[in-house]
Amino acid sequence: MDIFSVTNVNFKNILKYSNIKIKENKTTFLSGKSGTGKSTLLKILNASVPTGSGTVLYYGKPIEKHNTIMLRKEVMLASQNVFLFDDTIQNNFLEYYRYRETTPPGIKKMQEFLHICVADFPLDAKCSQLSGGERQRVFIAICLSFMPRALMLDEPTSALDGHTANELIKNLKNYCKENSITLIVVCHDKNLVELYADEVTNLNSEV
Amino acid sequence: MSDVIVLNLFQFGAVYLLLLIVLGIMKKCKINQSKLLVIGSIRMTVQLVLAGFVLTYLFKNPHPVFVIIYLILMIGMAIHTVLSRNKGINSKFSVIVAVSLSATGLLVIAFFILGVVGVSFFNPQYTIPISGMIIGNAMTGVSLGLKTFNESIKTQKMKIDTLINIGATPKSILIPFVNKALETALLPTLNSMVGMGVISLPGMMTGQILSGTLPTTAILYQIAIMIAITVVTCLAVFCSLFFGYRTLYNSQNQMLI
Repeated sequence: MDIFSVTNVNFKNILKYSNIKIKENKTTFLSGKSGTGKSTLLKILNASVPTGSGTVLYYGKPIEKHNTIMLRKEVMLASQNVFLFDDTIQNNFLEYYRYRETTPPGIKKMQEFLHICVADFPLDAKCSQLSGGERQRVFIAICLSFMPRALMLDEPTSALDGHTANELIKNLKNYCKENSITLIVVCHDKNLVELYADEVTNLNSEV
Repeated sequence: MSDVIVLNLFQFGAVYLLLLIVLGIMKKCKINQSKLLVIGSIRMTVQLVLAGFVLTYLFKNPHPVFVIIYLILMIGMAIHTVLSRNKGINSKFSVIVAVSLSATGLLVIAFFILGVVGVSFFNPQYTIPISGMIIGNAMTGVSLGLKTFNESIKTQKMKIDTLINIGATPKSILIPFVNKALETALLPTLNSMVGMGVISLPGMMTGQILSGTLPTTAILYQIAIMIAITVVTCLAVFCSLFFGYRTLYNSQNQMLI
C-alpha cells in the first residue's frame, strides 16, 4: 500500500511533482540536486504548506481532507534546522510532549531512543552545548519516541562523519522496520542510499 | 488656593532657549537628529496652539457632535500611529487591532466619565482630556505589544516551524507569544504605578494642582485615571493579540508568516 501518492502537483510554479509514490513501512530515500524540491516535498507531505494544484493522497485520501494536526502527529518531520529549547535533553523531551499534550516517556525510554539515534548523551546535558549534528540526533530521538506512522528526515547525515551517519541510518532503519514505521530520508550520500534504501525516488527526473 | 499664574508670552519664549542645550549636546555627540528636534518642537507648538484654540471654542460651545468628532479623530490618529509603527501585519490583523483599540478605549472612557466622574458623556471638559489620556496610553500599549509579538515571532520562526512539524496546534504554539507580548506591554504602566507619588508627580495631577485644585482631589483623579489606563492597556493589547494571532494561520493549520 502507498502511504503517499503525489500526482501533478505544481508548487507555486517553481516545483513540479508529476508522479511520486511512497510505500508504507519501507525506507525511501529522496535524492536529487539542490533546488529540486526535496525539502518542499516533505513539507507538502505533512501539509505544513499549501499543495497548490494537483493531488496528494495520504492512505488514499486527499491530504486536505485529513485533520492536519492528526496528520502531522502521524507523519513527523525533522527538518534540517532543528529547534531545541535552551534546556537539558530531558526537559526538551518534556517540553515537546507538553506541546503534544501527551504523557512523556520515562527516563529509560528516553535513553533508549537517544541510543537508537547515536546520541548517548546524559539526559541533563545542556542542548545549547551540543553541536549541530548532535542536536539534530537528539531531535530525531524525540520525534521517534512519539512512535509516528512515518518519520521524515531532511538531511539527517549532512553534519555527521561517515561512521556516525552509517550507525544512525542503520539503527533507524532497523527500528522502523521492527515497528512498522515508514521512513523517508533526504540524503546525498550514495553509500548510505545503496546500503539502506528499500526505494529510491530521484527528483531530478521530475523537473 | 491661588489661581494659576498665566504665562506671559515673553517669559514663555524663554523656555525654548532650553532646547539650545539639547541641540548643543546633540552636536557634540554627533547625533544627527537636530532636524527632528526642530521639526518636533515646531509641530508640538503648532499642534498644541491649535488644540488650545479648538478646546477653548468647544468648551464655550459644547455640543455632542463636536465631542464625537473629536473622539473619532483621536481614535483614528491612534489607529494610524499603531499601524504605521507596525507595518507588515496582514489586513485582517489590522482590522482587529483597529476594532480592539476603539472598542476597549470607548468602553473604558464611558465607564470613567459616566460611572466614576458621573457627568454627561458629551461634557467636553471631562470627556476630551480624559479620552486623550486613555486612548494615548492604549495606543502606546498596543504599539509595544504588537511590536514585541511580531519581532519575537520573526526571530523564533524556526521554533514555530519545528513545533508545527511535530503536530502541535498553532494555538498552543502562538499563545505563549501572545502572553509574553501582553506582559511586555503592561510592564511600563505597572512600573509607573510603583513609583507614582514618590519619584514623580504625574502630569495630570501636576496640572490640576497648578490650576488650583486641592491635592487631595487631584490624587483621587490620578488614582482613577491610572487604574483606567492600566485596564485599557490590558484590554486593548489582549483583544488585539488574542483575536489577531488567529489570522496567522489558515484552516489547514498552515502558518501564513
